[in-house]
Amino acid sequence: MSLKTGSTSQPSISHQSIQLLEAAKKCGAIHADALAVCDTGDSISIRNGMVESVEREDAQGLGLRAFIETPKGLAFATASTSDVSESGLNKLAEQVIAMARISEPDPDAMPPVGANHPSSAELQAWQTKHDHHDSGWDLSQAKAAAMQCEEIARNYSDQISNSEGADASFGNSRVAYASSDGFASEYAKASASLSVSVIAGTGEGMQRDYAWHSAFNAADLRSPQIIAEEAAQRATDRLNPSSLPDSMKHGEHSVIFEPRIATSLLGHLIGAINGRSVLQQRSFLSDSLNRSIFPDFVSIEENPNHPDGLGNRLFDGEGTRCSLNQIIEAGRLNTFLADRYVAKRLGQPETGSASRGLTGDIGIGSSNILWQPGTRTQAEMISDIGNGVLITELIGFGVNGVTGDYSRGAGGFLIENGKISHPVQGITIAGNLKDMFANIELIGSDLTWFGSRAVPSIAVSGMTIAGE
Amino acid sequence: MPNTPDTTTANSELPIAIETLQSVLSNMLPAHADDGDLYIEHGVSESLALEEGRVKHVSASTHQGMGARVIKGESAGHAFTDRFDSAALMQAGKSARAIAESGQNIAPVSIHQAKSSPSLYQAINPSDAVDFLQRKLLLEELDALARSLDPRVVQVFANVSSSFSDIHIIRMDGRHIHDARPLVRMNISVVVEQNDKRETGSAGGGGRFALSRLTEGEQAKQLVHEAIRLALLNLDAHDTPAGNMPVVLGPGWPGILLHEAIGHGLEGDFNRKGTSVFSDKMGQRVAAKGITVVDDGTIPERRGSLTVDDEGTDTNRTVLIEDGILTGYLLDKQNARLMGMEATGNGRRESYAHPVLPRMTNTFMLAGSDTPDDIIASLDKGIYAVNFGGGQVDITSGKFVFTTSEAYYVENGKIQYPVKGATLIGSGHEVLQKVSMIGNDLELDPGVGTCGKGGQSVPVGVGLPTIRIDELTVGGTES
Repeated sequence: MSLKTGSTSQPSISHQSIQLLEAAKKCGAIHADALAVCDTGDSISIRNGMVESVEREDAQGLGLRAFIETPKGLAFATASTSDVSESGLNKLAEQVIAMARISEPDPDAMPPVGANHPSSAELQAWQTKHDHHDSGWDLSQAKAAAMQCEEIARNYSDQISNSEGADASFGNSRVAYASSDGFASEYAKASASLSVSVIAGTGEGMQRDYAWHSAFNAADLRSPQIIAEEAAQRATDRLNPSSLPDSMKHGEHSVIFEPRIATSLLGHLIGAINGRSVLQQRSFLSDSLNRSIFPDFVSIEENPNHPDGLGNRLFDGEGTRCSLNQIIEAGRLNTFLADRYVAKRLGQPETGSASRGLTGDIGIGSSNILWQPGTRTQAEMISDIGNGVLITELIGFGVNGVTGDYSRGAGGFLIENGKISHPVQGITIAGNLKDMFANIELIGSDLTWFGSRAVPSIAVSGMTIAGE
Repeated sequence: MPNTPDTTTANSELPIAIETLQSVLSNMLPAHADDGDLYIEHGVSESLALEEGRVKHVSASTHQGMGARVIKGESAGHAFTDRFDSAALMQAGKSARAIAESGQNIAPVSIHQAKSSPSLYQAINPSDAVDFLQRKLLLEELDALARSLDPRVVQVFANVSSSFSDIHIIRMDGRHIHDARPLVRMNISVVVEQNDKRETGSAGGGGRFALSRLTEGEQAKQLVHEAIRLALLNLDAHDTPAGNMPVVLGPGWPGILLHEAIGHGLEGDFNRKGTSVFSDKMGQRVAAKGITVVDDGTIPERRGSLTVDDEGTDTNRTVLIEDGILTGYLLDKQNARLMGMEATGNGRRESYAHPVLPRMTNTFMLAGSDTPDDIIASLDKGIYAVNFGGGQVDITSGKFVFTTSEAYYVENGKIQYPVKGATLIGSGHEVLQKVSMIGNDLELDPGVGTCGKGGQSVPVGVGLPTIRIDELTVGGTES
């Protein structure tokens, strides 16, 4: 084996974003912002103790948004390329300007002028504290972690019958952003992650489950053993599902979303308060600003500088400074998520929520979002609700963001007389997100981080359940 | 008006010097490798999107790079680079080799054009004949049409996108296979409002043909009518009953049931590893008599079709289920070799930056002899599901779900009223055994499917005649 392709620290790419701004200006842009990215990464998969795959990524790209003046106001377009040569860069600038000329001017367009950028002193302080240049792994260390994780998971018990393998990956990413009002910055992120997926049972009784963890540095990852045992235990727990009792097939029931699944509820909230969706009348919460949408014991905040979050950032995809944002305070919706354009259109403050990828237009995104935990353990919650289902799996896309109608495939564990009785599979749970938010009965103390989101167990009453 | 794409015709010339590629290939492949290839891609894509009556989003992207693969036994090395300088290309080859024991290199290869099958689509940039301004004017026209059709329309979203990729596959024996792939897609969504109640509807279409096919004639306008019809229908929709009941699926896009419930479970990787509920069921009954399901990548100009797959294998019509018996898997080269079977032309990758996986192309059920009217009339109490949003499957347990976007409650054989989007859930290895009627009205979907697997998205097609399933679980809110 020759496994020595570990990532090394990459050279600065700020000059690319600045060059791109200059090229855009030469082609006729009056405002512009530019992005340069450079990613390298490695990953290794181990299955049944053997190397199943080794992958290596060496990616780069440029993204440009340019504004031109027209008699009817400012018009803009965006484009990207993975050709970062000088000719690729110039071609990109010409292409964007040509496209901006056919784009329809928007009187509310928000070019990078007068934006609330962090100062260079703030930038420097942030980089010193938050830039990550080293994932802490090379390929042989990643291989060893994946080997160990897969072996422990496979040998966890006699009921583990097969493996889908363990993956270890690590990499470095650099992003440089520059805008024509003089803001320029560059940041570096490293990452390491470990995951494993195993199968318990045989034939038509097979059940699969998985576990994973990610961190900036491999030293902060959960141990291969913890990840392996979580995956294997979860797969085993799912074996021999029972059918839904008749009592559960009628009327409305309580369900508990475990933290890993409750992240999806948080995701639906974040989707519904996306200021762009609100502007487009495509959100079931578009009329809910400053109203109570949750019980008063629910609070949710966006914290762009949290020691446990992987989503920390000083500024957003337009260079706008990010700050603490109390999204839900005592059940009340305080704000929509807005970049500069959406803030202007909705007449609300900017929330530093611009999300900028290489391709396409600016969207709405978030940093770390934390659902404030309650005081009950999950076992106490199970006891409190008495009868219902603990949901540990959701599949399908049955959520209508315009109406909030919700109907998804689910799996988990039946709760009978305040205790877990047996696993259930192939059931559906349905309701409407507005009602589900309002019907939250209990919040767990088991706050768990999943990358940039932290969520506890959440119990919701009034769900309709169906299944065999 | 300027038309900016920088590749206007297919370019069968390699964008990298042949000598460099020969050197990458020879140094990458040990003599004991089972397989290996280079995959060089240059693609452009463009998108225009209208909202609030304005074409606000105009974007384009150019992507180019090379993927390198080395395969030995059950191991695969994959590396890619966005850089075309020889140092980066050589490094990619070296990284891909990391799975192999050290050893002698293969003998030097000479790269040569392979004889190619006739292309299933035209090798032209699909947006060439319709410049940006024409596309913009079309979207504005569709917006105006939607607003004129019904005063309840409060928002219109119209999007047209196109891409064109030159793919070069260089096999370990030096064969150079070129495929130029056009793809277009148009989508219309509307939001309607009535008495403070809002609903949405959308419709789309596309394929591997010139954009003018969508922009000229009536097709784009029909999408507007369809999106509005669906949105208004949903305004009047009742709560869906929850529970187990018979379900009739309409023709066309509801074929997503086959894709989720059956297709994924028959992909070679899962079956070789024994992780699919269909593992070891070859030759066994997995569907009712009369059911034949095929995966066909050879239908000209379909969204899911490919002249060759991403390993350079000609695509095929593969019979997966014949008269209810499992007869075939979907195979890339590596899984085919390990299973002692022939590759079926289903080795696909999203781009040079992604590894090859066995994937579907166009997956559909052949027509039966029942009339759609008879099938609906057979429902005592049940759901008639005409259109769907997305679906998902757990290939290990076989549990699949999909969500209706147009469905009706049927009683005594008569359609009663539309019902809200509901999730249907079942088991892949059971659902087709519960099919009791098969319509004579096979339709393929309008060209809107995208399939996700292992973090990769590829365009696919599905198709279905009207069928009756005797029992499925319906996840409604009315218990």
